[in-house]
Amino acid sequence: MSDLLQLLFNGLSVGAVYALFALGYTLVFSVLGVINFSHGAVFTLGGYFTYLLIGGAVGANGLLAHAQLPFALPFWLALPLAGFGSATMALLIERLAFRPLRQRQADPLLALISSLGAGVIIVNLIQLLVGAESYSIPTTALGHLPAAITIGGAQVRSVQLLLLAISVVLLVLLTAWLEGSRNGRGLQAVSEDPVTARLLGIDSDGMIRLAFGLSGFLAGVAGGLVGLSISIAGPYFGIGYGLKGLGVLVLGGLGSVPGAMLGGLIIGLAEACVPADWSGYKDAVSYGFLFLVLLLRPQGLLGKALPTKV
Amino acid sequence: MPVIPHCQHPVAPADPGTGRSNRSRRIGLLAVLLGAGLLAGCGGGSDQGPVKLSGGVPVGAVLALTGNANVYGQNQKTGLELALAEINGSGGINGTPVALTLEDGGSDEASASSAFTLQIRRGVLALIGPTLSQQAFAADPIAQRLGVPVVAPSNTATGIPQLGSFISRVSAQSSVIAPLSISRALQLNPAIRRAAVFYANDDAYSTAETTIFQKALTDQGLKPVTVQRTQLNDQDFQTQITAALQQKPDLIVMSLQAVDGGNMIRQLRELGYKGMIVVGNGMNTPNIYPICQKYCDGILIAQAYSPELSTPANNVFLKRFKASGESAAPPQLTAQAYTALQVISEALRRLDKHSPLRSTPLAEARKGLMKELLAGTYQTPLGEIRFTPEGEVIQKQFYVAQVRMNPDGRSGRFALLP
Repeated sequence: MSDLLQLLFNGLSVGAVYALFALGYTLVFSVLGVINFSHGAVFTLGGYFTYLLIGGAVGANGLLAHAQLPFALPFWLALPLAGFGSATMALLIERLAFRPLRQRQADPLLALISSLGAGVIIVNLIQLLVGAESYSIPTTALGHLPAAITIGGAQVRSVQLLLLAISVVLLVLLTAWLEGSRNGRGLQAVSEDPVTARLLGIDSDGMIRLAFGLSGFLAGVAGGLVGLSISIAGPYFGIGYGLKGLGVLVLGGLGSVPGAMLGGLIIGLAEACVPADWSGYKDAVSYGFLFLVLLLRPQGLLGKALPTKV
Repeated sequence: MPVIPHCQHPVAPADPGTGRSNRSRRIGLLAVLLGAGLLAGCGGGSDQGPVKLSGGVPVGAVLALTGNANVYGQNQKTGLELALAEINGSGGINGTPVALTLEDGGSDEASASSAFTLQIRRGVLALIGPTLSQQAFAADPIAQRLGVPVVAPSNTATGIPQLGSFISRVSAQSSVIAPLSISRALQLNPAIRRAAVFYANDDAYSTAETTIFQKALTDQGLKPVTVQRTQLNDQDFQTQITAALQQKPDLIVMSLQAVDGGNMIRQLRELGYKGMIVVGNGMNTPNIYPICQKYCDGILIAQAYSPELSTPANNVFLKRFKASGESAAPPQLTAQAYTALQVISEALRRLDKHSPLRSTPLAEARKGLMKELLAGTYQTPLGEIRFTPEGEVIQKQFYVAQVRMNPDGRSGRFALLP
């Protein structure tokens, strides 16, 4: 029983981060029909923002070597602020890399490439400013919380539990907002059909900005949480999550919010189910699983099959 | 003869008379730009002319300055800078300064290979690098094919010098160093009975080193109770750790890169593991301290360098290191990178005396340098070293250190065990 619980905790805590990450992809994809490849870079930024806001100092490399903010915020405050910082960057990306192409009605493929370019620029800027070294959020950031707790015989790191809890809260809040608020329904309307939504008086551009802002916030919070749980392994640390997030997005169904959540949790659990002795092959197992699902359901678990347009 | 890409002028025919002419023109423009880039890259690279000494004696280095292995590259860069100052401060290569060009080899094979190619095309006499063994298996064959001597400052996997006659290393291989820390752990705690092993199964260094560790454990009568595999750049090890802890190990032996290993140590301790931890050469850098923080305290590691070695060569190195503003002791990677440039420079001095570099064709100078390199005996910060005819380093002294963290939990030192 405790083994099963351990497996569940292991899988869910990782899966929740994947879900949080994939939700950002999903929000933008649902309104623009394009994958925002700069999402991993915004996630990375969230980790760095959190580190700096809690009073972390820049290392010996980069233009800002040894720089430090004159204040140090508690982690609980730094995390949402890092989310807002990342949301601002996401809005800037929308303004510079997406909107000009959208206004010219360019092929969506071009927006995909321009977002990739924006991501590469952000990652390189991070490296230029704060160097390529790893940073970690001090283990004392959680105050007096014990390093790990035992639940039903399963050992779980407190930070993993926290990560799982915050992710679940954010996912629930987002779902409630999408279903229950005027803006949330507006966003869904734009994702269904932006032209009709505009005719109905919905500000499509505003909704797109909202999707980017929310997506950036979620990415920033996820980056800060992962930075706390493990470390910020340099400016490129979002790339691995970016690839996994893409897998989750496809598994859940492109543009489906519940699909992104389900996909993240399934991939996390699939990885945790790989026998520990073979866990070096967990990526192969999770992507193999994704491959099998797509063979049977090309639209993903909760995605809608698209009608053929003539 | 270097392999220079066969350059062709791109042909981008227009497509008049169709509605796609604009697109074709754009594609054509792109093709022309691409072609221009290729043409620009086609210049230079001949090794038949003399060595270009206008800017100094050209030596190249390819280090991991970005990506996960940058934690090693930064230490190595310091070592090269110190060696360069020392060599040029004492007359360079018989009066000509060494011109060291440093190229970022990233943390992957493709970046290291590109950086090697770029440096070779610049006409360097020798190369230092790349940082990771995994990269060396991809990049070294390029240098071997083109006859460029390589001195690896940090590749410890089995089989590196065997990649070819132009490949050598100053970093002793794992099979020599790794067993020392196992023996030491058992001396410190003879009651150890159950060892768990962790390694990254997609990394050449990790897989080579874990084989050595596992053999050393078996030789000591400790067959591992579990062997857990991870992947390079994995950061979350909850699954592997909880599975391993179920076996109740009292010794954990890990062969992981620094960031991954630092994270694993932190997670192991957070999940309640209290026993001894032995780590491999991948964690031989003070850059692990900010990652595993207070949990780094007590880990055991075998080293090829000790700041406490009292020899004239090490004293010069230590003096340079302290003068550069560093307060801590230099790490092994810095000392090894320093050594790599030192041995190349000493070999170049000898070569230049009997075959002056300014009148020797580049290809011949590279061959001569390799011969000199392997023939010499060097007094370095690592102690006296020389090479086997195959290019493997022969080093006399090795050490075992234990990490001691300062109360701030962010800084510490490798304390040499007596």
